[in-house]
Amino acid sequence: MGSITFSHVYKHYKGESRPAVNDFHLSIEEGEFLVLVGPSGCGKSTTLRMLAGLEDITEGDLYIDEKFVNYVSPKDRDIAMVFQNYALYPNLTVFENIALGLKLRKTAKHDIELRVNRVAKILEISHLLERKPSQLSGGQKQRVALGRAIAREPQVFLMDEPLSNLDAKLRAQTRAEIIKLQSDLKRTMVYVTHDQVEAMTMGTRIVVMKDGVIQQVAPPRQLYDEPANLFVAGFIGSPQMNFLEGSLVREDGRYYFLNKRMKLLVPERHYEHFAVKTASLRNCVLGVRPEHVWLKRENEEKDEPEDGFVRCVVEMTEVTGADSYVYVKLGEKTVIGRTEPETMYEKEEKLLIGFNMNKVHFFDEQSGVSLAAGGEEG
Amino acid sequence: MIRRLRRVTPFQVILVTVFTALAAFMSLPIIFILNHAFKPQNELFLFPPRFLVQNPTLRNFESLILHASNATVPFTRYLFNSLIVAGLTLGTVIIVSTMAGYVLAKYQFHFKQLILSLITLSLMFAPETVGIPRYLIISGLGINNTYFGHILPALASPIAVFMLVGFISQIPGELLEAAKMDGASHFGIFTKMVLPLSVPAIATISIFTFQGVWGDVETSTLFMQEETMRTLAFYVNSLLSGLQNSVSGQNVAAAAGLLMFLPNLIIFLLFQRRVLETMVHSGIK
Repeated sequence: MGSITFSHVYKHYKGESRPAVNDFHLSIEEGEFLVLVGPSGCGKSTTLRMLAGLEDITEGDLYIDEKFVNYVSPKDRDIAMVFQNYALYPNLTVFENIALGLKLRKTAKHDIELRVNRVAKILEISHLLERKPSQLSGGQKQRVALGRAIAREPQVFLMDEPLSNLDAKLRAQTRAEIIKLQSDLKRTMVYVTHDQVEAMTMGTRIVVMKDGVIQQVAPPRQLYDEPANLFVAGFIGSPQMNFLEGSLVREDGRYYFLNKRMKLLVPERHYEHFAVKTASLRNCVLGVRPEHVWLKRENEEKDEPEDGFVRCVVEMTEVTGADSYVYVKLGEKTVIGRTEPETMYEKEEKLLIGFNMNKVHFFDEQSGVSLAAGGEEG
Repeated sequence: MIRRLRRVTPFQVILVTVFTALAAFMSLPIIFILNHAFKPQNELFLFPPRFLVQNPTLRNFESLILHASNATVPFTRYLFNSLIVAGLTLGTVIIVSTMAGYVLAKYQFHFKQLILSLITLSLMFAPETVGIPRYLIISGLGINNTYFGHILPALASPIAVFMLVGFISQIPGELLEAAKMDGASHFGIFTKMVLPLSVPAIATISIFTFQGVWGDVETSTLFMQEETMRTLAFYVNSLLSGLQNSVSGQNVAAAAGLLMFLPNLIIFLLFQRRVLETMVHSGIK
């Protein structure tokens, strides 16, 4: 119960040349916590609304529990949705807000009371049941909205950026609560957000979207370690991955990444993928995350830097507490590197920079598709 | 800090003074009507005229009732007609306008823009210009001398629809979608969400619909040939025009004027409070 299948789903809005959702093809398993993430306008909310039945599907089929539901009305799909602005009924009390869905489904009165009270207890809003939504704080409204969804005990929960109106502390707290809730209820949850941190921490599987097209579907760890293309690599992770343009050249059976400033030996594990895609070897992009950047002070006695290291200049340092991020100038390009918080570099200080070549990613410059392990999808 | 907050600027003083004066000036007619109805005959003709009554008396109402009881149709019949017509019109205008407003505000369909433009356009017609077509329709339908003939011309209220479209389109779409997902039908969404949330707008349209219908003499003059189907407004109006040059009739006119004005005032005070209340508690941001 609660499995969902999108079969080549499209959404076309009248008067727009580009489809809002383009060939969305995905199966969601029962009990899965799936997160749709992407920049605004990428079609993630539209996808969710099609699943909810609030938008028509232009093309393609949608199945819930193997049942074709394209033309089934929202109330008959056995799903509940939490909206970004909570959408609590302002004319009803908290109790009535939570109970309305049950009442409209002709649940017995004592049963309604039982379920509302149970849900209120789980969410710790029992003392608010008699209040009107206008008398609640943002966090409390959020809980009521969650309660309204839970009370109906649907097969599938849909959440459309439910945390974006909360302040940072409350957001982190509610995030943890939703994760716990999902694992307790064991129901399928589809969650939309533009926040990659939310996506990474909550989802058992993440769908990254851009311009209506799925970029990659993977568990959080895999998404981070093996991004399928430049967009995913840049979108997931903060600060974002550094990108350097260059080319791959072959010398004596070894590959080197070469640009104006550096020549780096590529580890052998990448070779097999290169061999397959030899056509795209000329121009490529090297991607390296800040934590895989090595920075060190120059050894005054040596004239030439060690192998794999090049000179750079510190532009600024960002201290977050647990880490420091150093922005260095490498020619025209700014590269971000993570260092221990204790290490302080002066502005304009000259440093040596190197990359952990076992952790770098290579992308085709034209298509943006990964040349490395995560690239099967591309 | 507190002292600074409490300090009243000269601008505020001027503002409050000016607005108080303006409010006082605006209330003069009301004070005049209230006092005028209780003035004895000699005070009615004082020169220069006075605002406030010196020796209040109920004689004027007595004369009015006396005058009315001499007519072929009793005064109470006019009053009854007015109450029926005003009540039914108010109810039906609210039902029709809220339904039309909801559909026009929240649904997409063909010719929606055209319909909205036509409604806006119809706001610009003076009532006199549609008098003849209205008469043709009413007599064509054969509903002269019925209550329906009073109600039908007022039923399509473009200003009410116009206001409700504006108001209902401000209700967040998510709210109605949430109700839809909760299992509410179209009608359920309308009655459980749209109506309660539009109470301020409904109160506003009630005020001016009532005022329009209560004071309207057109339907009684044009569509009602039987005296028993005419309204209080018509009676008072004909009374006043009949008494225009009569010195002795002025007291009757004064009393009738107050009688016509009072329901307006009551309805206004009643709904105005509701407007403010719902604005405060609606929780719509």
